[in-house]
Amino acid sequence: MTTESLLTKPGRAVRVAPSVLTGIGAFAAVGVYVLVSSVGLGLWTSLGPGPGLFPFAMGGVLVAMSAVWLIQELRQPSGKAEGIDRGVVIAVVVSLVLLASLMDLLGFQLSMFLFLLYHLKLRGRRTWVSSLIIALAGSVGAFYAFNYGLNVALPVSAFTPLNLIGL
Amino acid sequence: MDTLNELLGGFAAAMTWQNLLFAFLGCLLGTIIGVLPGIGPVAGVALLIPLTLNLDSTGAIIMLCAIFYGTAYGGTITSVLLNTPGEAASAITTIDGYAMTKLGKAGAALTIAAVGSFVGGTIATIGLVAAAKPLGELGLLVGPPEFFALMVVGISLLVALAGKSMVKAVISGALGLLIAMVGIDPVAGAPRFTFGMDRLLDGVSFVAVIVGVFGLSELLSYRKDSQAPAVHAPNLRSLLPTGREWRRSAPAMARGTGIGFGLGLIPGMTGSVSSLLAYGAEKKFSRHRNELGKGAIEGVAGPETANNAHANAALIPLFTLGIPASPTIAVLMGAFLQQGLTPGPTLFSEHSEIAWAIIASLFIGNLLLLLLNVPLVGLWTSILRVPSSILTALILLFMVIGAYTINFSVFDVFVMIGFGLLGLALRHLDIPLAPMVLTLVLGPLMERSLRESLEISQGDFGIFVNRPIAVVLIGLGLLIVFSPLLKLRKPKALNEDPET
Repeated sequence: MTTESLLTKPGRAVRVAPSVLTGIGAFAAVGVYVLVSSVGLGLWTSLGPGPGLFPFAMGGVLVAMSAVWLIQELRQPSGKAEGIDRGVVIAVVVSLVLLASLMDLLGFQLSMFLFLLYHLKLRGRRTWVSSLIIALAGSVGAFYAFNYGLNVALPVSAFTPLNLIGL
Repeated sequence: MDTLNELLGGFAAAMTWQNLLFAFLGCLLGTIIGVLPGIGPVAGVALLIPLTLNLDSTGAIIMLCAIFYGTAYGGTITSVLLNTPGEAASAITTIDGYAMTKLGKAGAALTIAAVGSFVGGTIATIGLVAAAKPLGELGLLVGPPEFFALMVVGISLLVALAGKSMVKAVISGALGLLIAMVGIDPVAGAPRFTFGMDRLLDGVSFVAVIVGVFGLSELLSYRKDSQAPAVHAPNLRSLLPTGREWRRSAPAMARGTGIGFGLGLIPGMTGSVSSLLAYGAEKKFSRHRNELGKGAIEGVAGPETANNAHANAALIPLFTLGIPASPTIAVLMGAFLQQGLTPGPTLFSEHSEIAWAIIASLFIGNLLLLLLNVPLVGLWTSILRVPSSILTALILLFMVIGAYTINFSVFDVFVMIGFGLLGLALRHLDIPLAPMVLTLVLGPLMERSLRESLEISQGDFGIFVNRPIAVVLIGLGLLIVFSPLLKLRKPKALNEDPET
């Protein structure tokens, strides 16, 4: 219980946090979508329960629980949640998306090298020497360790000139 | 005699140099995961599954089991030295463990914790040996309705114990089941929720989902945090406890073993519940209960023994009935399935040698951890001195490799990123993640047993009421969820438990 929720007078003009409302709405929407599409899958066949039965039940549970949660929030809004550091989320997610998009084209070694360099040098502000050593070990080193040590193949570049120099 | 022979056979298989190496590596990696505060056992085990992909199934499972109980050891080190639990089950150890560090007795605390863990883990494994055959045979008699009912109980317990709100726990469980349903329906063969993507016909990759929801979302929820505190490794001379400390620890270890073993058998209980209750037991029964909180050795010995007895006992329902008792075991079960092994009663009839080799390796692993843990304390603490930016970069590297190598496809890396964001949203909304992992693994099995039951009864739901075991179990499950009389509420200290 935070001071904020204690200060809110029960029953009168309670304010549910927008993020909580969005969450409840999203779960309810997923529930409705599942309910509708599982009817299309077939709830019951001549052989017994159909492929849609179990999802139908889960969709129902989601919708019902979202409703209960909304009622709980309206009666007594939950305390303010811990904030999220948007800078961290954006930096990590965007760099991961770029890495995943470029991995097949540039190969694991080059794309991972750049990814690690970004996180170590630009975000982490480590020295050039330690950044380069760790980035090399994590990209080229990991590639050879997985390929030859564990027999797990990591992707090589689809771009011929890079491929030819072993990347 | 039969059991003993098979166990000896298991030891012979586990003692090959490769399998010993896998057990050793697993213990090492598990301890590191336990030491690192940012990454818990659930994501840790999932992350390391790719390392074992190309090993033979015995070696792979030996390594993953070693990682699993290694995390239970590793979490203690930071609890004692830094007052920061490396994983949730060691949280309670911080009270007396850190107090002992301030009194200059860190070495004794760590040694007692390691010995207690060894005792608890070994006794629980003996329990597994004794229970394996009879329980496995009992398990063979269990039909689909009883199996379904048993899973209902496990999930109900976890829902009842997880988080502050049961509504949120149920949402989490339902989401896990829905994610598990993506792909071709196992009975009728119809594609479900694939959004027309061929990639999704086989379902979403379990490893990518777990690594995203547990691992990546944890990294995403970090904020610019403070500098890591200075760590000093205790010197070797101070590692040995005094005779008095040994004598005081023995009864605490005995109580801890009993509590951890008993609770480990119950699906839905996590290790944190055991260590918490063990601490409570010391407060009630210890002769030195007045010293608890001020650096009493019992406060380390009890919980740490319970924690490891729990971790090993939790393997009993997995091996004999195919029911994962906690989220980490659920991940382990996912790894079994990926290796083509179905944990449960059939494991002993179909893959008897593998099962016994794994059990034998549990004994070896517990011994290895005892040998590794104490003398290498200096090494473990030096890991904590690695700057967080380097650790973050390396953990991200492993996550990408882990997600990619499951199907050798970049698609799974995107799946991991997506589920990382979902996990972040769930954390922000205070929705517990544990029910989701459990239903994610159990979902397909649960649906199959439900549909098989209804096919047997030709669509009559009465089959769950007419069979005595099933009706008792389902009644128990409903009672757990709906009865406020039971007061099965989670202790407050567990609300911060990332495992639940």
